[in-house]
Amino acid sequence: MDSKGSACSNPNPNPTFGPSKLMLAFRFLRALSIVHRTTPASSPTCRGRRIERAAYASMAYSAGTSRAWSRAVLRRLHHRARRRAVAPRRLSTTAGNRAEALRRLVPGGAGMDYCTLLEETADYTKCLSMQVELMQGIVDSASSNGR
Amino acid sequence: MQPSSREMQGMAGSMNGGISRSSAVAQIALRELQNGHGGQQIPNSVPQASFDHGASGHDDFLDQMLSSLPSSWAELGNLKTPWDPPEAGQRLFSAGLAGESSPEEPSAAAAEGMRYPLYDESSLLANRLRQHQISGGSSPNGKGMMVHLDHQSQQQMLLPSLGRSPVASGDSGLLPLPLTLGTGGYDVDAPFKSLNPTGGEGLFNGLGGPLQRAQSAFGHPQGGASMPSQNFTAAAGAAAGGVGQAASASASASASAGGGTGPPRQKVRARRGQATDPHSIAERLRRERIADRMKALQELVPNANKTDKASMLDEIIDYVKFLQLQVKVLSMSRLGGAAAVAPLVADISSEGQGGAGSGGANSSGDSLTVTEHQVAKLMEEDMGSAMQYLQGKGLCLMPISLASAISTATACPPRPPSSSSLSSAGAGHLGHGILPGGLHPPNLTGDAPASPGVSALTAQSAMANGGAEAAKEAVTVSKA
Repeated sequence: MDSKGSACSNPNPNPTFGPSKLMLAFRFLRALSIVHRTTPASSPTCRGRRIERAAYASMAYSAGTSRAWSRAVLRRLHHRARRRAVAPRRLSTTAGNRAEALRRLVPGGAGMDYCTLLEETADYTKCLSMQVELMQGIVDSASSNGR
Repeated sequence: MQPSSREMQGMAGSMNGGISRSSAVAQIALRELQNGHGGQQIPNSVPQASFDHGASGHDDFLDQMLSSLPSSWAELGNLKTPWDPPEAGQRLFSAGLAGESSPEEPSAAAAEGMRYPLYDESSLLANRLRQHQISGGSSPNGKGMMVHLDHQSQQQMLLPSLGRSPVASGDSGLLPLPLTLGTGGYDVDAPFKSLNPTGGEGLFNGLGGPLQRAQSAFGHPQGGASMPSQNFTAAAGAAAGGVGQAASASASASASAGGGTGPPRQKVRARRGQATDPHSIAERLRRERIADRMKALQELVPNANKTDKASMLDEIIDYVKFLQLQVKVLSMSRLGGAAAVAPLVADISSEGQGGAGSGGANSSGDSLTVTEHQVAKLMEEDMGSAMQYLQGKGLCLMPISLASAISTATACPPRPPSSSSLSSAGAGHLGHGILPGGLHPPNLTGDAPASPGVSALTAQSAMANGGAEAAKEAVTVSKA
């Protein structure tokens, strides 16, 4: 089920910003509340996975389709709507394998040349760190405000 | 000249590893070269291992070719090669440089030259030519100098690879002599031609490039193209940017090609005869771009003080893994508990209660107030329950700044204007704490002069969802 902030035109009117924190927060919060609303409380693990998927989806949507990694993430999400969201595999880095390991980490990294891979990694890292910041903030605020 | 070159090309094209044929082609090429240069003095005979046929006829060609090369050979002489050129070759080389034409050509030198990598081959070739000139005879002695000169710039240069000893013992004798007099529109020749005026460089380039291509094509018909292209590139690069590096590059390329069957790489490139100069330049550009990207990445990743590229890459990889792990953990942590259940509560516009958006003002206003009070009450007891309450209503809580910024940013009219529920006071102080740190929504409120009274954001209906839901739930009302 792809209810995580999907299928809506990008309302971001700020072309100047790269990855927009604002839109990211917006999308993610919306998706999060959808998850919380629709997920039965009896399946916490399922909810966790859904949240993670929501996180990636909001990341990809806010990054737009101009990025190869966001396209790959969306593709993966849409095609695997039924299956579990597979967390990116984390494989060890061997000496001569760094480029390969990076390709495995960054979505859509398999089919690009090294130069593009580096560029995509940079953008992906930026978005990932923003997402993590956002989620951390939410958790912090929620936990600090609760009780 | 033209016809012969064509015939030569034809030969070259049809040749598939036949050394003898290539030798013939080389001879022809040499002759063409000679012709092209208009009778400059060029060694008469091309030392070839298997040039059993018509070697004499090509001598003049070779002579011409050689005559045009003297300056280039001078450059060659100054080049440092990682492989020691044969003594004889060096000797001859210097002799050739001197410019005299003593045709005594110790075939031994040529023979030795064979074994050397491509780079040396160029110089060796020069030497050999020189020697040939010196010796004034055409006695190929185990060495074949096969030059395929492509005036039409259609065909690739086919030259036996000296460096490729395993190719064929007999063939090894052939000295690759790439000569590109490019009279036609040969792409490869173009750079060389341009350099020709400068003297040796052009010729050297011509030699380097076609040499490798020829040799690879020659030695490995199936996969030769890749080799030639690479070698060619290397050779061209050398000419353009520095002989030494190119030599090593070409040498390594040729060596690698010589080492095995030569995987077919860039066959097309060799055949098309693209200029090698751009390739090396493109290589350099690519490396620069990669360096730039690495620098950008360095700024993103913490602990990026590693100077080593490999460790920097490791750091990047670890950081990405760490971030992904954090996302996973954070998503798990939201399970259960108040914090996990309803992390968000609708925020109220910072401008205060300006009234509902476009829909049901009064009723919504009332409900808003009620909701607001409810939420405030719940908040005092237990944040979790407050959040749950809000969530039940389809509202979410968010920082005021964020909400206002969002509503300003998403100034899309097609926002189903429904009731808007806000509790400015309640959410105000709370809002600021919710999303600390990373969120600094741009101050877009300035854009919308008519600040909306209400900017409640509901997760599901904010984005023009069904109007049905909107009725029940607070909806973001865009200011615009």
